[in-house]
Amino acid sequence: MPRLPFDNDIKTLRFLSGEMTQGDLGDRVGVTRQTIAAIEQGKYSPSLEVAFRIARVFDKPLEEVFRWAGD
Amino acid sequence: MSFREKIHWVAFVGLVAGFGWYFLSYPWATANTRSGMLTSVWMLFPTTIIFLVPMIAGSAYFAIRTPKEANLKEDEREKLIHLKGTHAAYYPLVLGVWANIFAMINGLMYGWSVNILMATLVLSELVRVGAQLYYYRRGY
Repeated sequence: MPRLPFDNDIKTLRFLSGEMTQGDLGDRVGVTRQTIAAIEQGKYSPSLEVAFRIARVFDKPLEEVFRWAGD
Repeated sequence: MSFREKIHWVAFVGLVAGFGWYFLSYPWATANTRSGMLTSVWMLFPTTIIFLVPMIAGSAYFAIRTPKEANLKEDEREKLIHLKGTHAAYYPLVLGVWANIFAMINGLMYGWSVNILMATLVLSELVRVGAQLYYYRRGY
């Protein structure tokens, strides 16, 4: 499977937000725990809306959560 | 494993069990007769039971065990998986319809027609559910 051209810091941000679980983040964003896991592992590219929602949960701008890694 | 993935596994096993029994037990020698077609129709009752009972039991079991997940709406990743699986199932469906047209043009009728259509439906469903299970495992 081709790797996504961006990385993310969701796992770290969850840890820094009181060890928030994938399930808790999923509940707040409106997706399943498995979808959060897939995004974290770089297996699934979320929609712009979900990406923004994740960033808003951590009170961070989008580019501090997702970073472009391709060329 | 998510609630929907578990339900897909139950559906996959139910399909294989129900229609596996059907296609292995069907009296193929009589397929091209009216009685062959009626046998098909009658065999659909136990086939449906073999397929539906584990589906209902499995859904109820997993819904009781994980009620929160069972009540969740499909999210965007699950919708994508759903669409990709349905898209993959389109191809065997088209092939089956063409096979049926070919069979009817060549004088095969009744039971053969019913069975080709049923095999088409089952194969398409297996491809749909199988593809969805693959995407669930892969991540999307």
